[in-house]
Amino acid sequence: MIRSWWLGGSLVAALVLTMGGAVAFGSAQVGFLDAYRVLAAHLLPGGPAAVDPTLDRIVWRLRMPRVVLACIVGGGLSIIGVAMQTLVRNPLAEPYILGISSGASAGASLFYLGFLPPLLSKALSMPVAAFLGGLLSITIVYVVGREGSRVAVARLLLAGVAMSALMSSITSFITFSSPEPDKLRAVLFWLLGSLSGTRWALLPIPALMTALGLGLLVFLARPLDAMLIGEEPAQSLGMPVERIKRGLIVLAAAVTGTLVAVSGAIGFVGLIVPHAVRLVVGVPHRRLVPLSFIVGAIFLCWADVAARTLLPAQELPVGILTALCGVPFFLFLLRSGQYRFGGA
Amino acid sequence: MHAAALGALLALVVAVGGCPSPDADTTVTRVTDDLGRTVEISTPVRRVVSLAPNLTEIVHAAGAGSTLVGVTKSADYPPAVDTLPTISALPVDFEAVTARNPDLVLATDQINAPRDAETFDALDVPIYFFSFTSLDDVLNAIRTTGELLGTAEAAADSARALQKQIEALRTRTADVQDRPRVLVLIGDDTLYAFGQGSYIHTLVELAGGRSITDSLETQAPTLSEEYVLTAKPDVILGAWGADYAPSRLLSLHPTWDIVPAVKNDRVYSLPQDLLLRPGPRLVDGARRMAHRLHPALFPSSTP
Repeated sequence: MIRSWWLGGSLVAALVLTMGGAVAFGSAQVGFLDAYRVLAAHLLPGGPAAVDPTLDRIVWRLRMPRVVLACIVGGGLSIIGVAMQTLVRNPLAEPYILGISSGASAGASLFYLGFLPPLLSKALSMPVAAFLGGLLSITIVYVVGREGSRVAVARLLLAGVAMSALMSSITSFITFSSPEPDKLRAVLFWLLGSLSGTRWALLPIPALMTALGLGLLVFLARPLDAMLIGEEPAQSLGMPVERIKRGLIVLAAAVTGTLVAVSGAIGFVGLIVPHAVRLVVGVPHRRLVPLSFIVGAIFLCWADVAARTLLPAQELPVGILTALCGVPFFLFLLRSGQYRFGGA
Repeated sequence: MHAAALGALLALVVAVGGCPSPDADTTVTRVTDDLGRTVEISTPVRRVVSLAPNLTEIVHAAGAGSTLVGVTKSADYPPAVDTLPTISALPVDFEAVTARNPDLVLATDQINAPRDAETFDALDVPIYFFSFTSLDDVLNAIRTTGELLGTAEAAADSARALQKQIEALRTRTADVQDRPRVLVLIGDDTLYAFGQGSYIHTLVELAGGRSITDSLETQAPTLSEEYVLTAKPDVILGAWGADYAPSRLLSLHPTWDIVPAVKNDRVYSLPQDLLLRPGPRLVDGARRMAHRLHPALFPSSTP
């Protein structure tokens, strides 16, 4: 118990350092001290005033919202990864692999390109469209992957791959057939994910939704632990297993949808992060969920720094980098036959 | 089955290959295009397909407009091209080009993929690639086109006339001491710009400014907002059309309120075709640019 508090504390410290470090990287040269001075000017009440306005805009209005979004998306995708893995009782599940992300992408791009009517304000309709796309996708995958009350892993993964391919094709098709002048870029954004162009104004909805997801999963920690052992034991403990399962699917689609609407489909974060965290703290969700959130936030922050700086004067879609890390990891997991959770 | 299919294919190849009977009075000329490829052309050239709108303008400037038998969908100048059959250029519709039975296809590496040349070679359709890295290249392209299409004299006249306009402009801007630092943008939301080796830098230079993206290594860079903030251009020129409201730029990039060009209301938009099509109308583009960069020196954008 003490150990995990220590771990949590040092991870939070690492996250703060990461966010501070990540704003110092970018296409323009900004020194670490200058970056921290700008942050201090905004965050501390009696902080230094009057920094160079150019620097202030770069650090506080261009980079900081992006770093915060990277944290939200990385953390959010990681905890949804945890939820999906518990739902199907297999560590290979993940929102991207199971087709939620590409379904959400298809929904969001349908709306973005004007094929769906804006029901509410634009800021709300896009996440709603993404949510519906993700929900449709995961429902089909789950129904196909199910065998009675159990989930057949091979079938689930194959269904996920197939739905991903289908939904990506839909995204590409509607984008290319749209009058959008910048088609290739739009397709790249929706399929590979990117955090570029983030502004403070974009952040509240994904932040709120991710916080909600985090809260719910922490609140459900005990039932989730029980579900890992088996559905029958969980049921015999008086837990509404079916309702929790349905709830998890809707929650996964909602959080992933909201995140995809602002960042496109970034894959494999929800696979790598929970696995790494589980190696250290074991399977109990009370620890796994919050720590996965923090580690996911740190991971995506640095992945985005790499995406911004690897190629000179150009930006990579961050999803390329997460896939480069994630796919070998996925194959390794598949090969090593670790189909079951270590501690369960 | 296999042999039969092969036989049918062979028959087809023979039929296609034997179809155009060469005229008695044609001669084969070998030329080297801007990509260094050797192109064999049977002269005289009577049927030309242009795969880029600027090449269509150049063919007309060279006095060979009547040889055009196909242009791209976006070709809209001069008005005479409106009646010509159109061909999709991105990606190239090889079938449509071949169906026009051209003696020569004109392309530019700015729009067309050099890889397409191999497909045209395999179809025995000669294709000539142009490359534009400066305003002078446009004049050279007009002369070359005239030589290829048998209107060398008209083309030389046309190039000379343009050269005179350029010289007139240059004499007025040569002594300008205060050369504003100019950022030329193609996109307003996604910040596409011109990198190293683009003709646009010679255009800005001619108009009495200094293009700040001329040293960027990528040829077609996508700039970051940070770049613009730190580069602090004095003037931003966009190829966003004549009706563009410059205030839109600030609403797309709210952090730019301190960029000198934005702060001093020196964001201008010019007609796209005058900046983005390396053809004879670039000179017009340069004049309008000069009018924006040095309003005192060039009170109007007409010569």
